[in-house]
Amino acid sequence: MPKLTINGKEVEVPEGTNLIEAARAAGAEVPHYCYHPALSIAGQCRLCMVDIDKVPRPQIACNTRATEGMVVHTETERVKETRRSMMEFHLINHPLDCPVCDQAGECFLQIYYMKHGLYDPRMTDEKVHKPKAVPLGPHVILDAERCILCSRCVRYCDEVTHTGELGIFHRGDHSEIGLFPGKTLENKYSGNVNDICPVGALTDRDFRFQVRVWYLDTAKSVCNGCARGCNIEVHTNKHRTHHNQGRRVARLKPRFNADVNKWWICDAGRYGFKWMDDKSRLLQPLHRVGAQAAEVSWDRALPELVTALQRARPEEIGVLASPQMSNEDLWVLRRLAEQLGVKNVDWRVPPRVPGDEDNFLIRADKNPNGRGAEILGITPGGITPGQGGLDAAGMLRAAREKRLKLLWLFHHDLWAAAWPEADVLAALEGAENVVFQGTNANEASARAHLVLPSAAYVEREGTFTNFEGRVQRFRTALAPLGEAWPDWMILSFVGKALGFRDPVFAAERSEQVFDALASTVPAFAGMSYRGIADSGAMVKP
Amino acid sequence: MSDARNPQFTPEQLAEIRRLQGLYPDKRGALLPVLHLAQEVYGYVSLEVEEYVAGLFELSPAHVHEVVTFYTLFFQKPKGRHVVSVCHNLSCHLMNAKGIIGHLEDRLGVAPGETTPDGRITLLTVECLCACEQAPMMQVDDRYEGNLTPEKVDRILDGLP
Amino acid sequence: MGENKTSERIFTRNFHLADSHRLTRYIETGGYTALAKALGMEPAAITEEVKKANLRGLGGAAFATGVKWGFIPKGSTAPKYLVINADEGEPGTFKDRYLMERDPHALIEGMLIAARAIGSRVGFVYIRGEYVKPWRILDGAVKEAYAAGFLGKNIQGSSFNFDIVLHRGAGAYICGEETGLLSSLEGKKGWPKIKPPFPAIKGAFGHPTIVNNVETIMAVPHIINRGAAWFAGLGTKSQGGTRLYSVSGHVVKPGVVEAPVSVTLRRLIYDHCGGIRGGRKLKAVVPGGSSAAILTPDEIDIQMDVDGPKSKGSMIGSAGIIVMDETVSIPEALMVVARFYAHESCGQCTPCRESTGWIYKMSRRIVEGKGRKEDLDTILDVAKRGAGTTICAFYDGAVGPYISYIEKFRGEFEDLIRNSARA
Repeated sequence: MPKLTINGKEVEVPEGTNLIEAARAAGAEVPHYCYHPALSIAGQCRLCMVDIDKVPRPQIACNTRATEGMVVHTETERVKETRRSMMEFHLINHPLDCPVCDQAGECFLQIYYMKHGLYDPRMTDEKVHKPKAVPLGPHVILDAERCILCSRCVRYCDEVTHTGELGIFHRGDHSEIGLFPGKTLENKYSGNVNDICPVGALTDRDFRFQVRVWYLDTAKSVCNGCARGCNIEVHTNKHRTHHNQGRRVARLKPRFNADVNKWWICDAGRYGFKWMDDKSRLLQPLHRVGAQAAEVSWDRALPELVTALQRARPEEIGVLASPQMSNEDLWVLRRLAEQLGVKNVDWRVPPRVPGDEDNFLIRADKNPNGRGAEILGITPGGITPGQGGLDAAGMLRAAREKRLKLLWLFHHDLWAAAWPEADVLAALEGAENVVFQGTNANEASARAHLVLPSAAYVEREGTFTNFEGRVQRFRTALAPLGEAWPDWMILSFVGKALGFRDPVFAAERSEQVFDALASTVPAFAGMSYRGIADSGAMVKP
Repeated sequence: MSDARNPQFTPEQLAEIRRLQGLYPDKRGALLPVLHLAQEVYGYVSLEVEEYVAGLFELSPAHVHEVVTFYTLFFQKPKGRHVVSVCHNLSCHLMNAKGIIGHLEDRLGVAPGETTPDGRITLLTVECLCACEQAPMMQVDDRYEGNLTPEKVDRILDGLP
Repeated sequence: MGENKTSERIFTRNFHLADSHRLTRYIETGGYTALAKALGMEPAAITEEVKKANLRGLGGAAFATGVKWGFIPKGSTAPKYLVINADEGEPGTFKDRYLMERDPHALIEGMLIAARAIGSRVGFVYIRGEYVKPWRILDGAVKEAYAAGFLGKNIQGSSFNFDIVLHRGAGAYICGEETGLLSSLEGKKGWPKIKPPFPAIKGAFGHPTIVNNVETIMAVPHIINRGAAWFAGLGTKSQGGTRLYSVSGHVVKPGVVEAPVSVTLRRLIYDHCGGIRGGRKLKAVVPGGSSAAILTPDEIDIQMDVDGPKSKGSMIGSAGIIVMDETVSIPEALMVVARFYAHESCGQCTPCRESTGWIYKMSRRIVEGKGRKEDLDTILDVAKRGAGTTICAFYDGAVGPYISYIEKFRGEFEDLIRNSARA
């Protein structure tokens, strides 16, 4: 572990650490473009130059390993002057697109020019012109004039996705990023190139021209697209609601987690947020009689549900929970089922089309909390071991055979299940009362007698347990739409209304629910929101 | 006739390619020699040839395209039956390369970078061919022609079928 | 100073013979005897001899050859490659073309001896794609050498094996840069590699590699045969031997001149090459290929070894001497040279990629009569800011002419700009 001095401060770093990372450890930021910790060293941008004692000329920090006794200076006059020179070189042919470029506000030409440049430009000759607004794939659009040829995108496609779609063609100042003519950038992780591009050369097609980044708020969260639980940031537009076509969620970005997804997210997860602002969002409880559905208030809806629960015997109630629900939601649901004596509880609905999976991030299970549901025992054998109870298929059969007075469905799109559509339909028609609780309307909710609107995960906080057993927090990015409430809150109100005394039904914050669950379930022993923080915590084996 | 839009090497050519690949510790080292070979066979390196060659090297087509667009000797479009490359670098410039280039433009009726309409000659201006002792000079297909005068240029052009 | 110590002809000794490239002629004139001697020497002894001979790289970088060979890690079991830089491309230089066409077996013999010194079993000759005739001649010589048992397995009955692979380039000056050449040899664009690691540690295909110029390697058999002291004694304190000077431009007799490295630039121009054509006056001369800073007529009394041009702020480089008489417009010459660097920039790193194009645009604008008075200081400042910051020395080679042409002939530029403004 070499010890070196950076700007007069001594630091110790692991063997092999480059000077950009070593400087970071010493609290100094070395500006750079082409360096990225996930990728091979390119040494092309020449911006990361630093002064090193006993070395006559400044050296690039990215390709210099920290050695014992090295003395590094990142803020000498010579280094500052070199940075200013490098900024000028980078901007010689750069088009003045800021007013129309999505990158504005998070562009490292802007950021570094303001910090390290601030010279008067003297390039008055015609700049080199290259193709602009070229779609490379479904999610990426290229402006070759803006490109600073840092090659991060090329190295990403070679070294991370191993798909090699991108190259740098020609040479000199006619060098140009591009695809092999006629091909597209359509690997399942293409959106990440927009993140790693430091400038507005590669930008997100979905986000294009929607809203300026400085209007966005951000919250830390976890993707709900599959059981991997890639860490994300949710970027929301609350200040310019006439932008982004009125949608609240502007985009999702991956958040670094060394153990889960590193810097990356798959395209399905990245772009899987449109449902949050879709017009199919359930905003109000709905009461349906025959073909007529009417919006009702919670004051009417909850008592109706409570009455239905009281009127049915436990064996006439079926609860089909969902791995879309958080640990907190499932815990309150379990407590409620226990108190009611309901044994017909399950969460597993087999999909008709198996999910795709790869050896990178994508998991076949397209739900964020299957492992949580499993650990919390949301099954007949889990809640009341050895005492019978119907699983999901059993519940639907019972409903078809008119043995269920109440079928309480959470989130599932039963039309995407492996069960024949006719069977599902018959089940929904056979159950005396169907309650659907979820975020978006679907075929099942259209046939439910009572529809309760759930808050989306971005509209509340809670935890998911990923397939490896990592419990991760998602935090509130938005207020719930309409009258939607978090599932655990709806369930708590039901429990309280039924007269149950379990303190979890009196919880006012999801953290209280989590603390209750952590003190009871051995796998979660010792866990807390604070301890989980932003990188998660593993369940006990 | 070898079709650059539908490339398919013969067994002999494929054997030669394997032999070339075997000369290098990593077969990718044979890429330039094989692209030269492909250009000889197909007349130029079309996108179809690039993709075909990429397959023979297990490289992504984009990386073959990088190589083809980087080097000046690979033609991405059909070229004339003859390629006339006139040097316009320093020593040749000192010895009136400009006049020779102007003369060729007049005689051939094309600008550098273009091919005569009858497909006979592609005219190019190039950087130093390292025959400065014969300045001004040009490369005609495989051979160097130096100590050029307009008359000598005419004689050379007349001799090209 | 100035007097030839001897009319020693080493590189050009067979040039007058029509069949100098044939094996029979080469053997007849003493060829492959150095190889026999080297096969009986320890590899380290060969390197020592080359070091003592004071042989400096003759391709442009002028690094001490024996020292370079010594960088191969001792005891490494990795395959080692000898790579010959036959990608001659420096404007004003043509000596390697002559050497390959007229004495290819000397290159082969030199490679064999160098390979023995560094422990290499495979040598690649990277020859520029435009050099078709030299390639064919060299290919013929390699085939002759294989047939006669000078290449392949158990060379001349020894346990030494060596193969040569000829590899044609495809048109890129940057492939003459040591690591740009290696990238191209590996089947990629000719992008120079960031250093460290250096080629002797991690070169071609990731293995220890020595890259030497054609002419440098061809000095080796003579050093082995006649001794380091002899070779060193032919030259100056800083560099041994003779070398080939390529002289072109406005001289009466352009061509390749072999002379001891103590020869002065004045002698080369006026004695060896007949002086300025048409009886005109010398205006400027480039001493070491276009990347070398230009010299004025009062600066030509320098020895043309590795230190001589340096004393005037220039460099010997590839010893490509370009002579300009009084009819030359220096602003036009700058435009031509700037166009070259813009065209040949590989584009990998930002300072070179962006500014070579811009400086060419400015220099062209000046020649076209649209120059502005601030252009000169802009070119100078931009060049100075980029010098020393790039991945390879290509940009420094561009900076040589950018700065020297303007600083030494500033008046001519300013007149042109002033007259344009008036027009």
